[in-house]
Amino acid sequence: MHPSITSLLLIALSTSTIITMSSYHWMFAWAGLEINMLSMLPLISKEHHPRAVEATMKYFMTQAAASAMLIFASTINAWQTAQWDISLLTPSTPMMMLTLAITMKLGLAPFHFWLPEVSLGTTNSVMLIITTWQKLAPLAIIILLHNSLNHHLLTSLGLLSMVVGGWGGMNQLQIRKIMAYSSIAHMGWVVMILPKAPDLSLLYLMLYIMLNLTMFLIIISTALTKLTSLFSTQNKSFPMMILMALTLLSMGGLPPMTGFLPKWLILQELIYQHQTQMATLASLSTLLSLFFYLRLVFNAFLTTPPNTSNVTKNWRNQTNHHILLPQMMILSLMLLIITPLVISLF
Amino acid sequence: MLKIIIPTIFLLPVILLSNPKSTWMNFFINNLLISATSLTILKPQINTEWKFSSPYTGLDHISSPLLVLTTWLLPLMTLASQNSLKKEPYERKQLFLITLTLLQTFLLGAFCATDLALFYIMFEATLIPTLIIITRWGNQPERLNAGMYFLFYTLTASLPLLIALLTLYNLNNTLLITILHFLPQNTNPPSTSFFLWGACMMAFLVKMPLYGLHLWLPKAHVEAPIAGSMVLAAILLKLGGYGIIRTITMLTPMTKTMSIPFITLSLWGVVMTSLICLRQTDLKSLIAYSSVSHMGLVTAASLIHTEWSLTGAIILMVAHGLVSSALFCLSNFNYERINNRTLLLVRSMQLIMPLLSTWWLLFNLLNMALPPTINLMGELLIITAMFNWSPPTILITGAGVVLTACYSLHMFLTTQHSKFSNHLASMQMTNTREHLLMSLHMIPMVLLMFKPELVWSGTY
Amino acid sequence: MVNFFQFVREHWIHVLVPFGFGLGYYLDRRSDAQLTDYRNKSKLYARELKPGEEVTWR
Repeated sequence: MHPSITSLLLIALSTSTIITMSSYHWMFAWAGLEINMLSMLPLISKEHHPRAVEATMKYFMTQAAASAMLIFASTINAWQTAQWDISLLTPSTPMMMLTLAITMKLGLAPFHFWLPEVSLGTTNSVMLIITTWQKLAPLAIIILLHNSLNHHLLTSLGLLSMVVGGWGGMNQLQIRKIMAYSSIAHMGWVVMILPKAPDLSLLYLMLYIMLNLTMFLIIISTALTKLTSLFSTQNKSFPMMILMALTLLSMGGLPPMTGFLPKWLILQELIYQHQTQMATLASLSTLLSLFFYLRLVFNAFLTTPPNTSNVTKNWRNQTNHHILLPQMMILSLMLLIITPLVISLF
Repeated sequence: MLKIIIPTIFLLPVILLSNPKSTWMNFFINNLLISATSLTILKPQINTEWKFSSPYTGLDHISSPLLVLTTWLLPLMTLASQNSLKKEPYERKQLFLITLTLLQTFLLGAFCATDLALFYIMFEATLIPTLIIITRWGNQPERLNAGMYFLFYTLTASLPLLIALLTLYNLNNTLLITILHFLPQNTNPPSTSFFLWGACMMAFLVKMPLYGLHLWLPKAHVEAPIAGSMVLAAILLKLGGYGIIRTITMLTPMTKTMSIPFITLSLWGVVMTSLICLRQTDLKSLIAYSSVSHMGLVTAASLIHTEWSLTGAIILMVAHGLVSSALFCLSNFNYERINNRTLLLVRSMQLIMPLLSTWWLLFNLLNMALPPTINLMGELLIITAMFNWSPPTILITGAGVVLTACYSLHMFLTTQHSKFSNHLASMQMTNTREHLLMSLHMIPMVLLMFKPELVWSGTY
Repeated sequence: MVNFFQFVREHWIHVLVPFGFGLGYYLDRRSDAQLTDYRNKSKLYARELKPGEEVTWR
């Protein structure tokens, strides 16, 4: 793709997200989401092969359906209340429809099937955009609306996608697919806490984006595709594999690292609101995700040659270390120490 | 407390910047220096007050022996794994030492934390270095499985602990151990106290491990490299006992009734695991089960939570830490020579290595708690406390003691006596490093025999 | 003289851990001093120490 076209698309992508975030009128929010989707499509189908086209189609179908549902919900709302303001979504039917539309956009549990499929057809960098930047616009809408949404619905959707994300990723061998399932599980945390403490869900989202960015920067710079290709990456850049393993454990939420911070705060908030059972369920559901992170960790550096590995070595591409990588690595491993500062930012 | 933690962190630049030829020596010397400075913590104290306290850390009579045990065993771990890492490239040796240093830092943090949240974070943080040691430097492919078992058993039990701690924080607005003891806990509704008790204890009972939840331990021990086995048996299990002793005081009204099934189970486990030991074919697995059996006594003692039982628990923890670590070292000496852990293949070592045989004898005698040793002191205190709690327990604890003697003798006789087989004829002799390692395990045991009040907590 | 530099270059690494100890010792002392200050200023705990009595947190 020509660089100017790519930059045009990226500008459209970012502008449309900002339009959605800052809109007051349902039509604008919808238009922002539509522009967002339309500028995403050429990026996904950048590679000229059938898988990319298939992924584009899948992305288009789900996102268009979600946008249609959103505009439908807001129209019903306007019909019943004569209001187009985003903040006034009182009737229950459009509210439910809107929640489901956003769920589809975010790739939450019952509507999550498109995300792993799309992840296989695209490039790593586009997948990075889908799992990070594309979450912002839909989340901005539900954070605006968090008072009028149905708490039980959001909470159960969140718990469901934690479990489904954890369970789905266990069987996967493609790293991008594993990252997609991990994204589903993490979005579950974001949505679960959203009706109770929107600032915490924002914090979780930011830290997730950071961790995800780190992981994808590693994946991009070492050209990882499959679980087995981790073996040959050990030879190229061993320290990077160690740090990747630690980042993965941090994503799994093991204590001395950043990933524990948002989970800790969320659990504390849940208990503060006397929802101990839910906190227990949520914390135990991280074990499911941890299982597949741990599988990646095992392959990343715990089975190093000269110990036995029954995998043929791949062609060694050159490793291009991204300039952001060290900083992101430090942030995604060491932020727990400065928890009070991190909290005070939100 | 920082005067021990900060030098430990400074070991990292020592590892990274040393001359490749002398890294091990530098690390070992500096680490021994740290353990020497930490010995000052053992200064006997009559009152049970906190010393070395700062806003987040502090030591009392319960944690200080365990903390000194930690700093003492870490240099020994490097000494023990020197031979098995000889052929590794230099970067991986550095990685190994870095992992050990981080593990020590986290363990120190766990033992001297006065805030339970900090304790929890450090308690969990020890998992990652241990996992790396087990799965990276283990020998068989089954080590991945063992690592999974280790991580998931302990995490599944300790996530409810996090919830329980946050609930406690919500109820009391503090998690400081020093304050929580004095807050009344009997105002909670019964169901809350019930779950609180279960969640607080379960994490530590799995870590101990309680009989029935112990399956991860023999697996991890068998697959782990020598350093992993040593740190698991000597310190990580004690973290569980330490956790029980710390948290049980704030759960007082429930403990009276709730602890009975667990005490029963752990005492039953003492007998059962001793019986399992008698029919083990795998040397490391035998030692691992023997630690489960000893830890059963400690679990029971810390659940009763009287002055005598606590004293006994701490003495037994320290004694068992040194003895089991030494036994793992001894079994590793055999493993390094013939690459096998099977008891039947390593027999009549007395003929080949008589000096090593002496060490085997001494540590087996310590393991079966022969009279002047502190193992005996610990076990006697625990048995007495148990008898006081309920007289019939004398049958079980007595059987446990007899069976411990049986399997220790079994282990000693099988490895040192019996028929000589020819495949052992060309074995390498023992070297100074190995004898140094054994002496460094033996010296504290002997010295503690002469001055047991160093670990005798506050009750003499 | 050359031998001295050689010695320093080979063994400077042993300075690190004692330096860490010194740093930790200093920080411990400072924290003790802070606690003492707090004790002396607070209405609840301020009292004259008996002769030969140690503060409780050292």
